[in-house]
Amino acid sequence: MKQIRNWFRLRNLEQDFARELQYHLDSRVSDLILSGLSEAEARKQATLELGGITQIQEEVRDVWLTRWLRDLTYDLRFSARSFRRNPSFTATAVLSLALGIGATTAIYSLVDQILLHTLPVRSPERLVLIDWKGDQVGNAFGSYNLMSYPICRDLQQQERFFEGVLCRAAITVNLSTSGENKPTAAEIVSGTYFPVLGVRPALGRVLTVTDDQAPGASPVVVLSYDYWTTQLAGDPDAVGKKVMVNQHPMTIVGVATPGFHGIDVGEVPALWIPAAMSEQMLPSFHDLLDRRTSWMQVLGRLKPDMTLPQARAGLQPWFQAMLNDDLHRAGFPSITAERRQRFLGSTLALTPAPQGHSSLRRRLSQPLWVLLAATIVLLGLACLNVAGLFLARGSVRHREIHTRLALGASRGRIGRQLLADSLLLALAGGLLGVLLAPLAVRTLIAFLPRDIAANSLQAVIDTRLLLFAFAISVTTGFLAGFAPALQAGRSSLISSLRERVGTVSGGIRLRRILVTAQIAFTLILVIGAALFVRTLTGLMAKGPGFDTSSLISFGIDPLRNGYTPAEANRLMRRIQDELRTSRNVQTSAIARFQLLSGGSWNNPMTIQTNQRMITDREVHLNAISPGFFATLGTRLVAGRDFEERDSLPVNAGGRRTAIVNEAFVKRYFDGRSPLGAHICQGAGPDTKPDLEIIGVVANISYRGLREEREQAYFPIISGEGFAGNFYVRVQGSTETALQSIRTILRDADPALPLTYFRTLNEQVNRSLNTERMLATLSGSFGMLALLLSLVGLYGVMSFVVTQRTREIGIRLALGATRLTAVWLVLRDALLMIFAGIAIALPCVWALGRLIESQLYDVQPTDPVAIAGAIVVLCATAMCAAFIPAHRAAAVNPTDALRFE
Amino acid sequence: MASSRFPIPQGTQDMLILQILSLEPAHGYGISQRLEQISKSVIQLNQGSLYPALHRLEQKEWLQAEWKQSETGREAKFYSLTAAGRKQLAAEKESWARLTGAVQLIFDEGSWS
Repeated sequence: MKQIRNWFRLRNLEQDFARELQYHLDSRVSDLILSGLSEAEARKQATLELGGITQIQEEVRDVWLTRWLRDLTYDLRFSARSFRRNPSFTATAVLSLALGIGATTAIYSLVDQILLHTLPVRSPERLVLIDWKGDQVGNAFGSYNLMSYPICRDLQQQERFFEGVLCRAAITVNLSTSGENKPTAAEIVSGTYFPVLGVRPALGRVLTVTDDQAPGASPVVVLSYDYWTTQLAGDPDAVGKKVMVNQHPMTIVGVATPGFHGIDVGEVPALWIPAAMSEQMLPSFHDLLDRRTSWMQVLGRLKPDMTLPQARAGLQPWFQAMLNDDLHRAGFPSITAERRQRFLGSTLALTPAPQGHSSLRRRLSQPLWVLLAATIVLLGLACLNVAGLFLARGSVRHREIHTRLALGASRGRIGRQLLADSLLLALAGGLLGVLLAPLAVRTLIAFLPRDIAANSLQAVIDTRLLLFAFAISVTTGFLAGFAPALQAGRSSLISSLRERVGTVSGGIRLRRILVTAQIAFTLILVIGAALFVRTLTGLMAKGPGFDTSSLISFGIDPLRNGYTPAEANRLMRRIQDELRTSRNVQTSAIARFQLLSGGSWNNPMTIQTNQRMITDREVHLNAISPGFFATLGTRLVAGRDFEERDSLPVNAGGRRTAIVNEAFVKRYFDGRSPLGAHICQGAGPDTKPDLEIIGVVANISYRGLREEREQAYFPIISGEGFAGNFYVRVQGSTETALQSIRTILRDADPALPLTYFRTLNEQVNRSLNTERMLATLSGSFGMLALLLSLVGLYGVMSFVVTQRTREIGIRLALGATRLTAVWLVLRDALLMIFAGIAIALPCVWALGRLIESQLYDVQPTDPVAIAGAIVVLCATAMCAAFIPAHRAAAVNPTDALRFE
Repeated sequence: MASSRFPIPQGTQDMLILQILSLEPAHGYGISQRLEQISKSVIQLNQGSLYPALHRLEQKEWLQAEWKQSETGREAKFYSLTAAGRKQLAAEKESWARLTGAVQLIFDEGSWS
């Protein structure tokens, strides 16, 4: 390793050594003069005593670098000189490598940040995610991997296995530091969170176990470093100051260490709040101490001597006992024997979580791996291209190489020279690629589903990424140099001396193989691109099932601003009335849950017709105001819409009603009319199906455009409070409508922040981000691939034509037509193209499974996509082959023959 | 008289350099001077092989080097022993002692009869 380091400071070493030798010489000379010699004689003798200075320098260099490394530097210098002499070759090769390496590095950067990056905490490799596998019995809200706070507390007692256990939940709060409320991401955490992770404060202190003792007793927060620097300008006196969180004054006790963004890539909390304050932070939440409400992710830090299987096995008896105890605890819901069985059969799942817990990772892991695979194929293509270029150059350099061989250079030495060539090129390409990568990463991040995600992802090139790019470059260099080096090593000395100019066969077969492989790779990429583009266009054409033009949506959450449920309800009603009377608004309605945002409210349901039935999977639910379907433009298929009366509480004369969609009817009613049947949320034996189905509506998308799930709608009941999502169909220009809506909201409550405000078109676009990313990127990769293999094919064909000029000339002289000459060349190209296709198709079939889940309404073996890709490939490839073929046909027979 | 001077015996140059440097740090020229002096000009150092040796020993981390002012006032590269070098010297001295002891034994045996 020292040698490698020396390699980088060779210049310094050389200078140093020159100084050292000079000192020696000068000292010796002056000593000799003192002993009576003349200066000229002294200098002569001193030099003589030292022996050959050049030889000493060589020997010392050998010490620094070891032999092979030194040879390599010579090789590289030689390569550099020869590249400088041949700029067009160098530029083509470096550019194709830079593209491949840059793209791979960029995608890898995201893979690294989202999928592989370990948390910046103390020994993250011992963090495990603790999850409940089985039937939890109770309520759950949040994303996934959820357990209740009391169970986390219980786990903290398991000191035999864990050094500590923490729990956390991502929430949004209305935060105000300067009077203006803003929805802000926060993390509710147990007091053990910071100590277990080993995250230290940059200022003040972090949260501790004492902050998480009695509910409501510790109104304190820790700010993230980023929030502190960007929003509070890094105020050194921040500790001790108050911030208003959901209208509750909370004291800042500290700022967390820089670079720590919580444990979820994609959620970037601005502050951490102790779980003891969850009632104040989550409107209408009172279940912190309820064992049956799961809403937090639990992570533990394994003891150093504890392995994962040991902990898993060791925890099971305790967990089993806890389940048994739970059954007999007060407040445990009454359940069927079968459900009880499932509850008791639950186990604790422990999974390594050095990267924390992330919903973004879950969503993007497959697309990212697919893209990484695609870039690696692209990189392989670039390698093949450079290898082809090298072979072409190799045959030009044939004479030089063989002269060197004849002069006694070993075959390995020549091969190594060629490898050095390609390594140098690859490193240059890598460097260029790394320079391009941040730009590419920034573009990629713009595609990602959430604005929040963009905050936690960075387009910086760090050491890890540099190492990756370096490794990729070196590998690329070896791969690209392998074939030419092999070729150089193989051709025999005698034959080469016998060969004459113009008949050199330098690796033509190898080049044909390379081009065939290129065509195969390209076809795979182009087919992939076609599939993703079809998916995207299919989803866009399908749409969400309602007209999104001139539809605007915004959200408010009055409960987070200290409203009571009844007040919140009144506020929403007021806004709704104002909107309806506004000149710019056609219709408007409210929904409890936002559409097309990826999330949903879902539950199994019980259906009561003449028999009782439980849905076999979760039904997507939403609570809406009357007029919702009219606002969206959703067709009412049967029955009627909700009326005001449906929204009244039962004791105020209201009726309990529900509307379902066509998918629901299709799945559970066999297409029979569901009107009059009764349903309710939940699947337990104690649930009462008391909602009458009064209408059926057409299917609309809820979570995203892909799904056609069963949905059920309830009316929003007066007096119930929750976050409201308004859907407003505007008339006239969207701009003026936006203005007047903003005015209405400001008048209603200037302190109330909007959680979002956007047009439905925008929302649809956002929900297609991943699909768009896949389509755009794979499309560009496909184009690049086409370009690369085009260059490769063109290169080979021109070479073939040059090689066969004489043969073609003779044929023409003997009476062959120009057409036959063209055909002679094209036949060659066609053979390679067909061979490439024959290799690619089985690969496409095998790879199909990998991308299947990313597709919509298209099979991985979709004949249209495959046929289209083949046509595009053949057309471009034939273009690339036609130019040389045309040149072949234009050969003047006499010229061709005179050439000899 | 030229025949009174010996080239450094094969394989002992490194040991001798380490030994010279165990007394005090020195630069390359100083080392050659001192070898000459101490051995009363019996052992002759091939100056051409001195520098590769010094750099090799430095590479092995038996020596460390720094640029310092020399007695003439100019900057020179001074070599000194590292802890590892000290250990190496001790080991080499020990095996040298065993070797010369053994050679001596053979001589003594030979002069017996």
